Amino acid sequence: MNERDRGLPPLSAEENGGCTRSVRSTIQLSGLSFGYGERLLFDGFNLDVAAGDFLGVIGPNGAGKSTLLKLVAGLLRPSRGSVRILERELRGLGRREVARTIGVVLQENPFAFDYCVSDVVMMGRNPYLGRFQSPGRRDREAVSAALEFVDAAFLRDKRINSISAGERQRVVLARALAQEPLILMLDEATSHLDIAHQRLIARILSELNRQGKTIVFLSHDLNLAALYCSRVLLLHRGKAVACDVPERVITAELIRSVYGVEPIVTRHPQTGRPQVMLPGEKH
Amino acid sequence: MRRPSVGWAGLVLLLLCASALSIAVGPGGITGAGMSPVMNLRLLRLALGIVAGGVLAVVGASLQGLLQNPLADPFTMGVASGAALGASLTLVLGRTAGAFAPVGGFVGALVTMLVVYALARVRGRVTVTGLVLAGVIMSFLFSSLVMLAMILGRRTLGEAIYMMMGHLGALFTGTTVWLFVAVAALSVAGCAWLFSMSRSLDIMSSGEEAAETLGVDTQRVTKTVFVISSVLVGMVVSFTGAISFIGLVVPHLVRMLFGPEHRRVLPGSLVAGAGILLLSDVLARNIVPGGLPLSIVTALVGVPFFIYLLRSRL
Repeated sequence: MNERDRGLPPLSAEENGGCTRSVRSTIQLSGLSFGYGERLLFDGFNLDVAAGDFLGVIGPNGAGKSTLLKLVAGLLRPSRGSVRILERELRGLGRREVARTIGVVLQENPFAFDYCVSDVVMMGRNPYLGRFQSPGRRDREAVSAALEFVDAAFLRDKRINSISAGERQRVVLARALAQEPLILMLDEATSHLDIAHQRLIARILSELNRQGKTIVFLSHDLNLAALYCSRVLLLHRGKAVACDVPERVITAELIRSVYGVEPIVTRHPQTGRPQVMLPGEKH
Repeated sequence: MRRPSVGWAGLVLLLLCASALSIAVGPGGITGAGMSPVMNLRLLRLALGIVAGGVLAVVGASLQGLLQNPLADPFTMGVASGAALGASLTLVLGRTAGAFAPVGGFVGALVTMLVVYALARVRGRVTVTGLVLAGVIMSFLFSSLVMLAMILGRRTLGEAIYMMMGHLGALFTGTTVWLFVAVAALSVAGCAWLFSMSRSLDIMSSGEEAAETLGVDTQRVTKTVFVISSVLVGMVVSFTGAISFIGLVVPHLVRMLFGPEHRRVLPGSLVAGAGILLLSDVLARNIVPGGLPLSIVTALVGVPFFIYLLRSRL
C-alpha cells in the first residue's frame, strides 16, 4: 500500500480508529484505475465509506477530488476496478436508480433559461417519474419539504437566475434532497459563498448527516472540513495520503508534505478541531 | 405574462388570423367564390406554411434547450445547407427541374446529418459542443458548394437565392403532393416525440453533468433530439429552402409568454411558428410584385424584434 511506503497513517478498515466500522459500507471503491488520456490519475485506488459517514475530501488542485466524485456518481467510467454503492456494482445500476441513491451538488450550476425555483427543485423528482408522468402530490410534498429544509421556502416562486449565489446553492441542494438520496456528494459547494452561507450549508449537511445520510464533502476549505466532517480523506495526485478523523489528517506535517506550504495548525477554541492558518508575511 | 390560458388564446388567434389572411390575400386578388385553382394553390401554400413554421420553431426550441444556448437555431447543425446542396445538385444535374428537388434536398440533409454525427462522435460519446462545431463547419462548406454548383451548372443565382433564403411557392406536382402529405404526417410524429422529451430538455438546461446526476440519459437525449431535428428540418427545407429567424426568434417569444418549461414552450412554438411564418409569407408575396425570398421578410421583422429582446434583458 502506498500509504505505508510513505510512512503515513494506514487506512485499512480495522486500524481506522475514529470510524464506526460496524455499519455496512455505502461506497466501496476497490482497485480503481482511471486516467485522462495516457497517464493514470488513480491506479488501484481503494476507499470505503461507511453508512452515516460525513467524509471530507481535501487535497490540492488536480489531486483527483472531482474525478473521484464523478467516478462514484457514474459520470465517469473507471478503466479498471469496481465501484460498489450499497454493496451493489455501480455498473449494474440504471441511471435513474443511481439518481435515487446519490444526490450530487456541483460547484457551478448555470441555468441557460430562467426557471422558477420550485420547477428547479422538481427536477430532483425526475428519477421517480415516468416519461409521460406528471408530478403528483407526493412529488410536490418532497419539493416543499426539501425547500423548507434548506430554509429556502420563501424563494419558491422566484426565478433561479435572479437570486443570489448563496440562495442558488441552497436551491440546488434542495433539488438534490428532492431526489431523497441516501448519499449526498458535494463538489466545492461552498467555495463561492460568504461565511454565513458556508456555515448555513455546513449546518444543513450536519443535520442531514444526523438523520442518517452519508455525506461526501469535497472542499478546498480545510477549516470548514475540519469543523464539520467526521472523517477527512487527504488526496494527492490520485493517492489517499491519509483518511482518518480530522485531528490525525489536518496536521502541520501532512499539510506541508502535500501542499508545500508551512502552515500553522491550531485548535478551535470551542471544539478542539484542528484549524489551519497560513504563516504571516513580513511587511 | 404568467397566465398560460391568455397566452394560448393569443397564439391560436394569431394562427387563425394568419391562416385567413394567407388564404384571402394574394397577387391573384382577394378570394371570392369560383376561384378554385387559385384556392387550391393557396390551400397548399397554407399547409406548407403551417408545417414549415411549426417544425422550424419546435426544432429551434428543442435545440436551444439541448445545446443550452439561446442562440441555437434549426440550421446550427448544418442540415439546412446540406439540404440546399442536395436540392441544387438535383436541379443542376437532373432534367426534370423542380419535381425531384425535395428528394435531393432530403438526401442531402440525411448525408449532412450522418457526417456531422460522425465528426461529433469521440470514443462513442456525442457531445453537444461537438455537434455545434461540426454543424457550423459543414454549413460553411455546403453553402459554398451550393454556389459553386449553381455557377458551374449555369443556373441563375436567383434559384440559389430562393433555395438558401426560403419560400413557400413550392411547385406541386401529383407526386410531390403525396410526398408533402407524408412529410406533414412525419412532422406531426416528430414534434410529438420532441414534446415527450420536454422534462429531459428542461433538466439538460442546467448542464449535461448535472442532468446525468438527476437520472437523465443525456447521450440518448442528445442523439434522439439531433436525429429527429435533422430529419424534420431536412424534410421541410427540401420543400421551402432555408427560412431563417423563425426557429431562432419564435421560441424566445413563447418563453416570454409561458416561461422556459419545454412542455409549454414546444407546443407554443408550434402554433406561434406557423402563425408568424404565414404572416411573413403574406407580406413577402404582396409587398413586391413577384414576391420576396421569405428570409428577407423574417429577418426584416425578426432582427429589430431580436435587438429589442436583447436590450430588454440587459
